[in-house]
Amino acid sequence: MTTSRPLFIPAILGTPRQGRMSEHVAHFLLGELTKRDGIETVLIDVRTLSFSITDAGEALKDAQFSATIMRADALVLVVPEYNHGYPGLLKHVLDTNLKEYIHKAVGICGVSAGGFGGARVIQNLLPVMRELGLVTIFWDGNFSSIQNLFDANGALLDQTYIKRIDKFIKELVWMAKVLRYGRENVPRE
Amino acid sequence: MPETNKMICPDCGSEMNYHAEKIDYTAALTDPDAIDLDLGGVLEEVHTCPECGKTGTRKAR
Repeated sequence: MTTSRPLFIPAILGTPRQGRMSEHVAHFLLGELTKRDGIETVLIDVRTLSFSITDAGEALKDAQFSATIMRADALVLVVPEYNHGYPGLLKHVLDTNLKEYIHKAVGICGVSAGGFGGARVIQNLLPVMRELGLVTIFWDGNFSSIQNLFDANGALLDQTYIKRIDKFIKELVWMAKVLRYGRENVPRE
Repeated sequence: MPETNKMICPDCGSEMNYHAEKIDYTAALTDPDAIDLDLGGVLEEVHTCPECGKTGTRKAR
C-alpha cells in the first residue's frame, strides 16, 4: 500500500451565484481540511470554470479540472439547496468527467436558509454520485440558517460546526484511504 | 481477465491495477463496432496506478 502520498481532497463550491453564502462554508471546509496532516486540498469554484452550455458530458473537458479530479482521492461538495434541488451548473460541471471519479469517496455539505441544512439537495445528489462512480459517505454537512451562521467576513459564528465537520472529515478520510487502497491494490474479479 | 495484459501507467511506467468497469452507452454513436451486444454498450476497463495514483481506461477486450 502506498502511504507516502498525502490524500488529495478538493472541495467543490457548487454555485456561481452572486452573494452566495455557500462560499463561507467552502472556505470553512477548506480550512478544516488544511489543518490536518496528510491532507492536501484545493478549492474548485464552479464560477471560475468556463464550459459551453451547448454541449455536454465528456465532449466538454477542462484539462485542469479533469487533472484535479483525476488526482483526487475524495471530494467535498458544498451545495446550496435551490428549490429543493442542486444548481444546474454544478451538474453540468460534474458531467464533464467520468472515469476520474470512479471508486473515489465523496462527502456532501448541504447549505440552506431554512432549518434542514440542505438535506433535500443532498438526497437528490445521491443517485448522481452513484452513477458517476463516486462512493458517498454516510456523514453529511448540514448548514442550516446560513444567513446567520457566518459574519460578514466569513467567520463562523456557531462553533458546534467544528465538531460536526471533524466527524464528517474523519469518515471521509477513512473512506478515501480504503478506496485508494482498493483502486491501487485490489483487482477486479 | 486482464492479469495477463496489465495496463502500464503512462506517467511512471508501473503496472496498473484493474479495479472497475463501466459501460459507455454513448459510444454507440462514435464506435459502433466496439459495442458488446450483450451489454448494449462499450465496456471500458478502469485501471489505477499503485505508485502515482493515475487512472486510465481502455476498452475491454
